[in-house]
Amino acid sequence: MKQLKRYVKNKSVVIGFTIISLVILAAIFAPYLTPYDPTEMDMSKRLISPNSEHLLGTDEFGRDLLTRLLYGARVSLFVGFISVSVAMTIGVLLGLISGYYGKWVDTIIMRIVDIFLSFPVILLAIALVAALGPGLGNVVIALGLVYWTNYARVVRSTVLAVKEEEYVQAAITMGASNLRIIFKYILPNVTAPIIVVATLGLGVAIVAEATLSFLGLGIQPPEPSWGWTLSVGLDFIRNAPYLSVFPGIAIMITVLGFNLLGDGLRDITDPKLNK
Amino acid sequence: MKKIFAGILVLFVAVVLAACSGGDDSATESSNGNGGSNVSGDVIRVGLDVDPGTMDPRLANDSSASRVTEIVFDGLVELDENLVPQPALAESWENPDELTYIFHLREDVTFHDGEPFTADDVKFTFDSILDESFNAPYRSLYEPIESVNVVDEYTVEIKTSEPYAPLLSYLNIGIVPEHLADNADFANNPVGTGPYKMTDWKRGSEIHFEANAEYFNGEPATEKIVYYIIPDNTTRVSALEAGDIDLLHSPVSPQDIGRIESDDRFVVHQTTGLGHTYLNFNFEDPTIGEEAVRVAISHAVNKESIANDIYAGMDQPGKSPLIPSSWAYTDAIEGYEYNPELAQSVLEDAGWVDEDGDGIRERDGNKLSVVLKTHTEDPNRMQAVEFLQYELQSIGIDTSVETQEWPSFQESMQTGDYQVALLGWLNLVDPDRAMFNQFHSEGGSNYGSYSNPEVDELLEKGRTTIDQNERAEIYAQAAKIVTEEVAYNVVLYQGYVVMHVKELEGFTVHPGGYFKSLRDAKINN
Amino acid sequence: MKKYILRRLLQLIPVLLGIAVISFLLLHMIPGDPATVLLGQEATPEEIERLQENLGLNDPLPVQLFNYLGSIVTFDLGTSIFRGEEVSTIILTALPATIELAVCSLLISLIIAVPLGIIAAVRQNTFLDYFSMFFAQLGISMPVFWLGVLLIMGFSVHLGWFPSFGRGEPLTEGFIHLFTTGSFSVLFASLKHLFLPALSLGVMGSAMITRMIRSTMIEVLDMDYIRTMRAGGTIEFLIVMKYAFRNALLPVITIVGLQFGNLLGGAIVTETIFGWPGLGSLVISSISQRDFPIVQGVVLTIALLFALVNLIVDLLYARINPKIRHN
Repeated sequence: MKQLKRYVKNKSVVIGFTIISLVILAAIFAPYLTPYDPTEMDMSKRLISPNSEHLLGTDEFGRDLLTRLLYGARVSLFVGFISVSVAMTIGVLLGLISGYYGKWVDTIIMRIVDIFLSFPVILLAIALVAALGPGLGNVVIALGLVYWTNYARVVRSTVLAVKEEEYVQAAITMGASNLRIIFKYILPNVTAPIIVVATLGLGVAIVAEATLSFLGLGIQPPEPSWGWTLSVGLDFIRNAPYLSVFPGIAIMITVLGFNLLGDGLRDITDPKLNK
Repeated sequence: MKKIFAGILVLFVAVVLAACSGGDDSATESSNGNGGSNVSGDVIRVGLDVDPGTMDPRLANDSSASRVTEIVFDGLVELDENLVPQPALAESWENPDELTYIFHLREDVTFHDGEPFTADDVKFTFDSILDESFNAPYRSLYEPIESVNVVDEYTVEIKTSEPYAPLLSYLNIGIVPEHLADNADFANNPVGTGPYKMTDWKRGSEIHFEANAEYFNGEPATEKIVYYIIPDNTTRVSALEAGDIDLLHSPVSPQDIGRIESDDRFVVHQTTGLGHTYLNFNFEDPTIGEEAVRVAISHAVNKESIANDIYAGMDQPGKSPLIPSSWAYTDAIEGYEYNPELAQSVLEDAGWVDEDGDGIRERDGNKLSVVLKTHTEDPNRMQAVEFLQYELQSIGIDTSVETQEWPSFQESMQTGDYQVALLGWLNLVDPDRAMFNQFHSEGGSNYGSYSNPEVDELLEKGRTTIDQNERAEIYAQAAKIVTEEVAYNVVLYQGYVVMHVKELEGFTVHPGGYFKSLRDAKINN
Repeated sequence: MKKYILRRLLQLIPVLLGIAVISFLLLHMIPGDPATVLLGQEATPEEIERLQENLGLNDPLPVQLFNYLGSIVTFDLGTSIFRGEEVSTIILTALPATIELAVCSLLISLIIAVPLGIIAAVRQNTFLDYFSMFFAQLGISMPVFWLGVLLIMGFSVHLGWFPSFGRGEPLTEGFIHLFTTGSFSVLFASLKHLFLPALSLGVMGSAMITRMIRSTMIEVLDMDYIRTMRAGGTIEFLIVMKYAFRNALLPVITIVGLQFGNLLGGAIVTETIFGWPGLGSLVISSISQRDFPIVQGVVLTIALLFALVNLIVDLLYARINPKIRHN
């Protein structure tokens, strides 16, 4: 209860949480929120400015932009959640191994992390998608493969700290199995920092998908991803600016939500700021 | 520490103030240009989409390389707006027999370094193109040349192994100086005979040219030309509107044309280009190899809508591989009309029926599914493919889209790793170039392995027949067959667009996008 | 100190080698090869095959990798397939533009972040705090290419204040011109070109720095000696600027190092939008041409730059804060 109060007191968390909840609800209930179909084309209705019938106007194929964005939320959230899950799995595993076993395993894994950190991440993602080919699945895999380093570092340092705790040392000397120690003592301690990294990572992934789309390496039509809608919209920026402004705003608000939420959570879980 | 920070702050404030105060006067003199590095005086500023890959005309294969080499070099001939070869470095020529061309060269031409231009340079140029190890991209166009012989200092004889009608159209390629062209650096420091000398190449951003006062056709009208590389189509047009450049040409975003047209500061020229955009069908693919499927797909393509909506009328609905700007064009070939009902009944008749009611047709338990490919560099083609996906899905074909970057896409095409692809051909100055490699069983660009002995025979005949009327008939026959068998479905005849400030005079629009006429262009203030 | 620097530089070697191997393998996994691009659409398969052979692209991958690593260790980045020039020359030509852009973006980030961070910390948990943090977060929440295009639309197309693309003379040229002739014109032109790309990148970078300043300042403001000073009646402004902010600067310096990496990444997209002739637009065009040696060279250069900046930051940090000079 006291815990909950702390979350509610933090404005960042409240605003961020509200935004994200709304976006998730919009994605889930998209079919009930709009009478239009996101893929049905009608060239006679193309490029209509926002009006009472089409609140955000229609796109270059006469599709309702608001509908595209509502359904697009599904795609963007999917990209965010799945790629973050991939990254988290890789990062947490390697971080655990690195921190727990130490020695040469640690050295090797941390060198790999160094390599990934000094690589311009977006370039790595570009190369990966170019190699795998564009499309939803490959974009998700590529983003997962490039954004795991933060998890590994956070987990590793937590493991190193926790390992020195007396009760863990005691468990080790009493011959508890490695798995047991990891699951019982270490994982509970890394959850908080991981949630922070993951929340911020969701925003990063959504922006990265947009960037890949902009470079022609994103999700394939007719999937209404925000990134694709935005980058196509930019071709029409002089005649139909709403086609790029609204998708951009959708991305911005959602990412802002994740960033505020993540930042707030970090403040709450960071002991330094909790006196 | 404080001092450092204060220093940074002061510097920054200076930066901002400078930028803003600078901004004020640029608003008033925006027509005087602030794009790229500052250039002033008698200059034409041109916006191009890509940095040239080379400045050696023999190696040029991107449009910007052509735009550069056109004004730095001259060919033996140049092609006028109707693609008829006109004298350039060659004053005149004759055909003593079907296998021989004799060119009489101008005697008053010097290269930019002052060395005279002679027959040896011509021989050198073509010998190097034909040299396999030189890897000239258009080598295959010149392959029928058997030998290039220097008759005297200003006479050259070109012998072909068989009669080769298109040759003259390809002799507008720039002639390079024998004494310099072997330098490793020649492709970066071109020296030609043309109206402009290349003076500075800032890779990826700008190229500067200066008038060649010794140009054999008289001094060019404008002192300096600058090409700016602005990759994004929309940004490039914005740069024109912002007064940062004076002229740009295709590729442009179709949706920008209307706005610029209605802006009285600018002039827009639209004409038919030298290319077409088409659907390529892979005959090796079991689904696409079936003629009924190809016919059905072709009837589901709403060319009118693609041309008028997506391309905003910039391109015209296409019919056959013979383009309207060619002398071989014929409107006798109708192509495939947009008729989704007909498309559906063609599929029904071939046994493709939606049995399980999921909206997708099946036959013998196999779903009718097609992957449409195109490349990512052209936003209009991406849109066209997205549109086609919807159209094909609507007639019961399970359709997905796969867009690739050009090199990957080209590899897919060459290895036959596709079903149906949307792409285009450019520079079709001769029907041979539009059809031989594309439809001949042995053709180098016959990605879909189309093969018809009758077509092979016609294409070989077209190549070796010299009489133009006779050739036109031959190509019309061939084009009719390949269209009926749906080797290609030509979706659009490409248009060509030029936009420039209205003060620019003397620039002649060429369907091939050639910039030769920049030598006569001038901005009158 | 020297030993420390040396050790850090030695640690860099395996990282750079790793990057070389990964980028090499990754690039060769990408379909499409330079020969196809070089010869264009009308080339015959035989011609492409021949050029591939000439370029050594048909050698087994391990052989190519071995050759590449062999030349890397002798500091030879190879020759561009398209330009025929040394990759190192090409990179050195493009590098100053990118550094100029990155440094100016960093300055803009600081200009935005410092006041926002200070305000947020001093007025912790008030509307001003939330507003500042919200504003800072907005910057990092926008796709940088979107912001770039919007800036071009607003400031160059509609207002005509700034050029829509390209780079003026290098800033250094501008300063030289200023000092030799006393005329600001060249410098102004360069700054005008620089402003929009630097702004779009700088806005992106300001979020992290704002956050950092805010949290450290809150920490410092809460310390006993500050409380004592407050109790003793020292002017608030003095406390904030002289004591709290000075201390907050330390962590800012570290984050600037990290931020530099982000900037280089962001520059890849921004340079493409603004036609800025730096490493970013170079690497994007080289990827699309499959000019592998250039791409690999740029990746290595960026990694090296990033490592050096972080080394310098660490050294600076150690110098300013004697407590941690334990290395």
